[in-house]
Amino acid sequence: MSRLPYTRPTVQRLNAGPVNPFRLGTSPSCSEIDGVSVESLANDFGSPLFVFSEKALREKYREAHRAFSRRYPDVQFAWSYKTNYLNAICHVFHQEGSIAEVVSGFEYEKARGNGIPGNQIIFNGPYKQLHELQRAIDEQAMIQVDNLDELLTITNLAKGRSEPVAIALRVFLSTGDHTVWSKFGFNGDNGEVMQVVRRIIATPQLRLQGLHCHIGTFILEPDFYRIAAKKMVGLALEAESLGAPPIRYLNMGGGFASHARLHLQYLAAEHSTPSLDRYAEAICDTITQLWPAGRTLPKLYLETGRALVDDAGYLISSVVAVKKRHTEASTIHTAMSAYGKGGGAVTIAASSKNALVLDAGVNLLYTATWYQPRILPARPCLDAPTATTVYGCLCMNIDVIREEAPLPSLTTGDRVVMHPVGAYNVTQSMQFITYRPAVVLIGEDQQVHVIKKREDLSYVQELELVPSHLA
Amino acid sequence: MKTQLSDLLLNDRGFAFDPVRGETYQLNTTGLVLVKMLQTGMTEAQILEAMQEKYEVDENTARRDLEGFFDELETIGWKA
Ligand SMILES: Cc1ncc(COP(=O)(O)O)c(C=O)c1O
Repeated sequence: MSRLPYTRPTVQRLNAGPVNPFRLGTSPSCSEIDGVSVESLANDFGSPLFVFSEKALREKYREAHRAFSRRYPDVQFAWSYKTNYLNAICHVFHQEGSIAEVVSGFEYEKARGNGIPGNQIIFNGPYKQLHELQRAIDEQAMIQVDNLDELLTITNLAKGRSEPVAIALRVFLSTGDHTVWSKFGFNGDNGEVMQVVRRIIATPQLRLQGLHCHIGTFILEPDFYRIAAKKMVGLALEAESLGAPPIRYLNMGGGFASHARLHLQYLAAEHSTPSLDRYAEAICDTITQLWPAGRTLPKLYLETGRALVDDAGYLISSVVAVKKRHTEASTIHTAMSAYGKGGGAVTIAASSKNALVLDAGVNLLYTATWYQPRILPARPCLDAPTATTVYGCLCMNIDVIREEAPLPSLTTGDRVVMHPVGAYNVTQSMQFITYRPAVVLIGEDQQVHVIKKREDLSYVQELELVPSHLA
Repeated sequence: MKTQLSDLLLNDRGFAFDPVRGETYQLNTTGLVLVKMLQTGMTEAQILEAMQEKYEVDENTARRDLEGFFDELETIGWKA
């Protein structure tokens, strides 16, 4: 007699109300990425494995570019290197027409190495070293000044040059009810920016050509950009009224949300992430309405990072152990009992949850601190999802990728796919107790290309030295 | 207070009512089969063997999952 397919036994307490036990349904799964089987990717390139979809990168870029260029005559995207500076990823965006946005000398060199001329590099960041500024000036990069020290350094470097050095100012603004990123640039709300503008106007070696703001990241509210754009236009016109030359560009930075989901975010990404059209509308309509009639609109730069790359990135990982996680019964005292009224204590029944250990840890998923990646089994599963704790493979108690992910009963050797993980994880991943995985790109023709090899012992130890008395 | 497994009210889709605590539970198909085996008085070793006969599962996986499941029943407060 042939045996039946197996699923792990489970029992789940039902809460009155929302759950209809007969309609728990089956679990969603992800067995292919762009038509390539997840199992074969893991077999061919190892597990864990970062996977990027070239098709998704290009489609997202085109969607973003279309959203803005439909509404505004002069738009230029600059690829935010820090979001993901694997050269292959940068090349995709450069091929699509993006220039580069960098925040350090290292990133500047990387962009130059990728064939981007200096005058197509936007140079941001609070720490630009002297020799880096010198090179940026020589190569006519778009320097966006962060602080007064930098401004003074540039002024010194500009002395004796035949042409004034063109610069822009980084500005921070309050735009709504989220944190103001006041670490960077000059205050656009209290007059500080205009003091700096006056100083620039009084310095013949400098020429103000643009203003830049980056109001934050994963901004779910397009209206914040409406407020930012309004303030930026106001600042540009005020600077001109003080005697600055016409402001040639406004740079609205990045910050558009991807389809990631924050911890504690109730709605799924499909219901909370605004379309790129809504951001484009907020920015372009505001500038076009407020810019003085008859004058050429300033060039609009965008440094969109996560919204372009996050959804194109996946992490394949394997289940290496299956565990249970027990929680004792407990009583919590509500405000009612503190108030001296009876009946305020609520008993939470003892429960036990499934838990999994994966072969990838939070060292590869830096963004799991703020976002809950979707975790999908790589094979169709017969049973309904239950709340499952997903641990990483590090020897640290904090290595929890998801406290509660809805997963069917998986077993050792099963593959899972985490998504979206394309933004910031590759650039911020740490090497810790294991090797960082390979990264592959699935081309539009479904060919799989390794774009970063898996680390090995000699790579990790390459820069180490053992003093001779210890050898 | 423990609930005797024989006192559970089960339907054939794994819906279980625990008359001692007034709570309802959902067992998946494997969970239901195991609880029914326990209700007939089978021992752990017999259940382990029966699982491998019935399902495409190796002994290690079956043993691990069975032990986990029994722990879970114990946490809920059910006893054979
Ligand atoms: C100056 C600047 N531009 C662009 C970005 C990219 O932001 P995002 O990935 O949110 O689009 C950042 C990220 O923090 C930034 O600091």
